Amino acid sequence: MSTAVGTRRPSAVTARDLARATATRQRRGARFKLWAGAVCTALVVLPVALAGLLPLPGANAQDLSRRRLPPLSEGHLFGTDQLGRDLLSRILHGGQVSLTVGVLAVLVSGLIGIAAGSAAGFFGGWVDALVSRFLEAQLALPLLMMLLLVVALFGPSVTVITCVIAVAQWPEVARLTRSLVLVEREKPYVAAARVLGLRSWSVLVRHVIPNVVRPASLVVLLLLAQAVLLESALSFLGAGPQRPFATWGRIISDGQDYITTSWWLVTLPGLVIVVLVVGVNLLGDGLRDRTRTGSRARLRKGA
Amino acid sequence: MPTYLARRIGQSLLTVFLTLTTVFLLVRLAPGDPASAYAAPSATSADLARIREQFGLDEPLFVQYGYFVRDLFTGDLGTSYSFHSPALDVVLDRMPYTITLAVSAIAVTTLVAVPLGVWMARRADTRRELGANVLTIAGQSMPDFWTGVMLLTVFAVLVPVLPASGFTSWSGLVLPTVTVAVLQLALISRLVRREMSTALASSYVTVARSRGVSESALTWRYALANSSVPLVTALGTRFAALLNGVVVVEVVFGWPGVGSLVVRALETRDYPLIQATVLVTATLAILVQLLVDLAYPLLDPRVRLGKAA
Repeated sequence: MSTAVGTRRPSAVTARDLARATATRQRRGARFKLWAGAVCTALVVLPVALAGLLPLPGANAQDLSRRRLPPLSEGHLFGTDQLGRDLLSRILHGGQVSLTVGVLAVLVSGLIGIAAGSAAGFFGGWVDALVSRFLEAQLALPLLMMLLLVVALFGPSVTVITCVIAVAQWPEVARLTRSLVLVEREKPYVAAARVLGLRSWSVLVRHVIPNVVRPASLVVLLLLAQAVLLESALSFLGAGPQRPFATWGRIISDGQDYITTSWWLVTLPGLVIVVLVVGVNLLGDGLRDRTRTGSRARLRKGA
Repeated sequence: MPTYLARRIGQSLLTVFLTLTTVFLLVRLAPGDPASAYAAPSATSADLARIREQFGLDEPLFVQYGYFVRDLFTGDLGTSYSFHSPALDVVLDRMPYTITLAVSAIAVTTLVAVPLGVWMARRADTRRELGANVLTIAGQSMPDFWTGVMLLTVFAVLVPVLPASGFTSWSGLVLPTVTVAVLQLALISRLVRREMSTALASSYVTVARSRGVSESALTWRYALANSSVPLVTALGTRFAALLNGVVVVEVVFGWPGVGSLVVRALETRDYPLIQATVLVTATLAILVQLLVDLAYPLLDPRVRLGKAA
């Protein structure tokens, strides 16, 4: 942009106005969320992934002479627990299990949820009746109780807990997608697409789903965070994976008895969960904001 | 409308029945023996066999199921093994506590999250809105059992201003409610903000504004009313989920609701009690869902119930 063009077409819009414009602020907000989210997530995920390489004592190595040392004591950054095990090492190794479960569970539940929910909302009739029965049955079931039951039945292995969380989570996506599609399908563009001769299947996949994916994906992204939380709740109640390492919920429930004397046993693992989940949530949120402003810009360019 | 209602109720009854059947089978397939949980540690295998016979657990599975279905229609859900009283009564005794906690948590969530979401939509993309957003996300990111333990430590142990556990007075409701509500805030407030931003940017709002409708009327009467379908869906779903027992929070706070009852019933393999809990909570949750669906046409006249495409 040369100055010649600037003088030929003088504008009242200053650089400061541009910086205060909604689009700029949105982009700035999205960038902040992405950065903060990425930093928080990396802060937890990287050490967890590299737990095997870090110079840490073994997660299950007990040293009864060094029980319940406070954080920052020599050789134990996060202190030790009631059996003299290094807390940081326990958290990082347990985190590997927690994270694997969370990521796998979300992939499965998001796909099932969006497919089932949009089909139910769009086609109605027996499809809707079928999916709605499933949704209702699932929302009606005492969730954690069913999870505890199934874990008792099949044993607390990583696969079982992953499946259990995925099955527990899909109704949330499906129900939201269904209610969004119900409103969406009454809109004129759907009728227009039909009049133009598109089959209902194409209308759903090419026109309706792209319009509901954004609001629905808000929930899908929250699900990863929820999956981590759900897994930790299961572990807290004693139904989490036991091998190879105790996961975060279990560490917290173990430390609960010492809360008045050894605050770090509950506080620190909890904080690690919070930092990770905040990070994932912010990251998801930032990505969503960016695609939103991005698609709007594309729309304007196309018009 | 009456046809729709009749069909929905019929479907709901079927759902409850299938749910109960699933649970009936699951609890019996799961490892663990109610007799050994019930008997004294010194019991012989003859004692265990006698207890099983007394509970009717020595019958084949389908015979047990037959008795179960027959008794279900007479409203008899069996006698709880561990409480020695009708299982349904045990659950119904606990239900008011869970309902109280669920209602107060949803009320607090709605009262905080809806105004917050509206404020966030009106102040969209400012630094303050970003700050509020990050705060609600942080609230949602805390595991409920951890929040509970932390709140307990601070407000019941370090600064003993609130009771630590159980339901002795209304102040005992504060910490569990806060623990549950903090989790729900982000979901609801972000939903309100998203719906409100869309609504406030739509042309009918511009028209109404140009005709001199005040900003507060625009916000609350026009935009919020048009955002109500997803809002009510989300609140209804959350409420139904809470009715099923806020298991973890109830365990942490020693709250005498169905959540802590469920954990105990599972540990002792108290089959009648598990089945009664599922019947009661499932019925209530389905009722809430039905009410939410019935509310759609009231909130948005474009939605017609029972007319599939």
